Amino acid sequence: MLNLLWLLLGGYGVGILLPLCLSGRPGLQQLTSNVAAIVGTSTGVILGLLGLTSSEPVTGSLASTIPLLTFAVRLDPLAAFFVLTISLVGLAASIYAIGYLQHFEGRTSTAAIGSLFNAFLLCMTFVVLADNAFFFLLAWELMSLLSYFLVVTEHEKAEVRYAGLFYLIMTHIGTAFIVVAFLIFFQGTWSFSFEAFRHPAQPLPEGMKTLVFLMALLGFGTKAGIIPLHVWLPYAHTVAPSHVSALMSGVMIKTAIYGLIRVYFDFFGGQFPWWWGFTVLLLGTTSALLGVMYALMEHDLKRLLAFHSVENIGIILMGLGAGMIFQAYGLRELAALGLLAGLYHTINHALFKALLFLGAGSLLYATHTRNMEEYGGLLRRMPWTGIFFLIGAMSISALPPTNGFVSEWLVFQTLFLSFQIPTVFLKLMLPIAAAILALTGVLALTCFAKAFGISFLAQPRSTHARHAEEVPVSMRMGMGILAALCVALGVAPIVVVPLLDQIVAPLAGISIASKVLAIDGWALAPVNVEFSSLSTPVLALLLVASAILGLGLAVVLGGRLTTRRSKSWGCGITLTPRMEYTATGFVQPIKRVFSTIYQPTVKLETEFLAESRYFSKRRHFEFHIEPIFEKYLYDPLVAFFGTLADRLKVIQAGSLHLYLTYMFVTLIALLLLAV
Amino acid sequence: MQGFSYIGSQLVDLCSALLLLTCFAIVAQRRLSACVDLFALQSSFLVVTAALVAYLTGNPHIYIAAGLTGAIKVIIIPRVLKKVIDHLNVKRELVMHVNVPTGLLICGGLVMLAFFIAQPIIPLGNLLTRDSLAIALAIVLIGLFTMIARQKAVSQLVGFLVLENGLFLGATAATYGMPLVVELGVFFDVLIATLIAGIYTNRLQDAFDSVDTDRLTVLKE
Repeated sequence: MLNLLWLLLGGYGVGILLPLCLSGRPGLQQLTSNVAAIVGTSTGVILGLLGLTSSEPVTGSLASTIPLLTFAVRLDPLAAFFVLTISLVGLAASIYAIGYLQHFEGRTSTAAIGSLFNAFLLCMTFVVLADNAFFFLLAWELMSLLSYFLVVTEHEKAEVRYAGLFYLIMTHIGTAFIVVAFLIFFQGTWSFSFEAFRHPAQPLPEGMKTLVFLMALLGFGTKAGIIPLHVWLPYAHTVAPSHVSALMSGVMIKTAIYGLIRVYFDFFGGQFPWWWGFTVLLLGTTSALLGVMYALMEHDLKRLLAFHSVENIGIILMGLGAGMIFQAYGLRELAALGLLAGLYHTINHALFKALLFLGAGSLLYATHTRNMEEYGGLLRRMPWTGIFFLIGAMSISALPPTNGFVSEWLVFQTLFLSFQIPTVFLKLMLPIAAAILALTGVLALTCFAKAFGISFLAQPRSTHARHAEEVPVSMRMGMGILAALCVALGVAPIVVVPLLDQIVAPLAGISIASKVLAIDGWALAPVNVEFSSLSTPVLALLLVASAILGLGLAVVLGGRLTTRRSKSWGCGITLTPRMEYTATGFVQPIKRVFSTIYQPTVKLETEFLAESRYFSKRRHFEFHIEPIFEKYLYDPLVAFFGTLADRLKVIQAGSLHLYLTYMFVTLIALLLLAV
Repeated sequence: MQGFSYIGSQLVDLCSALLLLTCFAIVAQRRLSACVDLFALQSSFLVVTAALVAYLTGNPHIYIAAGLTGAIKVIIIPRVLKKVIDHLNVKRELVMHVNVPTGLLICGGLVMLAFFIAQPIIPLGNLLTRDSLAIALAIVLIGLFTMIARQKAVSQLVGFLVLENGLFLGATAATYGMPLVVELGVFFDVLIATLIAGIYTNRLQDAFDSVDTDRLTVLKE
């Protein structure tokens, strides 16, 4: 299996170096980089599958000359699962990129994009494979930096540079917290190896454990984009090239989920108080709800998707948090179920979010705009993209028979089973979380009804949309793979659940595959088949059958099937795209209902004709929602550091001698202190 | 053997003391080119000290370090600095932040401080070079003080190099030299730093028509 790892390293290595050597031939550069990425990711898929099915974790290590750092890797089921997720999405993204990068040719260096893309994939893979905290941080930091460089691909735009800087600052703050968490472990063990973290000579004191919990939550939470640390997501994911957005949103933020599970379940062995789980659940619930609510108000398709990542990370954390609560109460089966639901949603979100970002990239490729209000009528012009986007939209809205439905259903069931917890408080809180999850699901559905309807249906709203053409084959293939996987994972939990159980069993200490797969695997049940069960294949069959039945009935009872094409009746007026329902109009009711959260500012200016106030000459409508977190949390913080820096300027007189004197005085003072 | 070691130790102390003496000379000297010459002299004392330590301890790699000191600090760096001074319009340091008598007094105080600080450490070791540790510390402090007291970039550079000499003496005295790799790295650093500072001084001359580092304050917003 280590040979496969070398192959993966070789594939990505070629992808990193070769494009840089082929100067002046952009077509060849991007082809080589993407083919190399395809080789690397395919190897990753095989490696992930082998790792998931093998009984013993595979380890390997390379010593280094730097103290405490060894390039140790360990392929256990948890790592293998994330390698698989990264590689699957990476594979689709690299196939997609072959066509997509054509529209960057001439505008920016394709060699740089291709090379960075490969390096980014490589670092993500090593983040989850690393078995040494030092190595992990190295890969983590490289992953963050490489993604920063990919985000600022179009650095000639001020908006892009701002997004990049914001991302860079946030990700470094996050890393700082992770470093603190690892250093606390290091203090207890004097080793950076994960094996030592798992089995410390003396267990960490309670206070230190709590600190590690909080630091890991803050550090990984920044990368995952939990509220209120999510602010960088909508900026960075929007401006990055779409196949990179797919990777960042689909898999990079998942490495944070990996980190959380690794620290809480693996290093601490699932030994923690209930309020840890409750905190995670609370953050997850808040992120899920607020994420989808902010997404609803976005008309920039990629920003909308970025906010949905916040929502889905929330859902994953809800599963994880519920699992942690159950674990704390010793309800092992349910803990395993929560973890399984969270992991299932992790891969599902990776697949459908990547699909949607690739879809958004296709729309951008065809229309050169991200503004939904300028799309419209694209389904007829880009049927493939439309279908794939629809599958992704169904998945993210948790509609059967797609994968999003299965995992959200599992999260729901986990939350409902809270009646087994002995505390009344939690018995009350978990169903409330379930109710909020239900609200989230509905809002997500609304959001994607908007996104799909406004973009693909009705008449084109702009010249760009009118001249849109279907995207090249490779882009369609990239999306097609993900769409097929979305459906497959939705219909066949019978294959997925045993694999996930491989990961969950060592972490929660109990195997639940046989219980979750009730009735010989044809139905899913949350541990207890009497409580509830769901058969996705039957559900899918029913859906298909009812469609056929409906069609059949229409043929039998409805008479002749002829198509009549004519214009819609518009009360005698010719219909124009300006009369269509806009994205802003579509979400108006929701904006009203939740105005406490949005705090919208609406500005309507009307200019009247001089002759009469009954005729308006021009109307100007503006509408903003308050970016609460940025305004009340981040702006004051930035202002605080600004003033602090201003104060410190006093001692920065700019005189070399003064600085030297500072050093001299400090040195003498320290020497005297030492004596 | 005992006596031999005693004589050796005394010789090392003597050389270290000569290093310290040149420090005082540098502090008292106003002419820039003379400062550079004194630095070269100090470095040659350092070469002798290092060679002595190498001979007495039988550590061959200290010979290499001594040889490199000779090549870089006695020959190359003074030459570079002389070239820089040729380019300048000032040959003497007229205004100092601290005048020469006060400066010498402060340096005396610094030497006492260094011995005071090193006092608890000296009896702990049984190295033949142990007294040199206090002297090395004093040289470091005086080097730093020179950088503060002088205004011209060249004499600040000399201060920096004196400081580095102190560090090298300290390393040789306290541990019989750092690993060769580290020493090579340090030599390279010093060489590069001198070259960069030399270029920087020339640029300073061109931009401000002076090498007063005080003038740099105008760069502040």
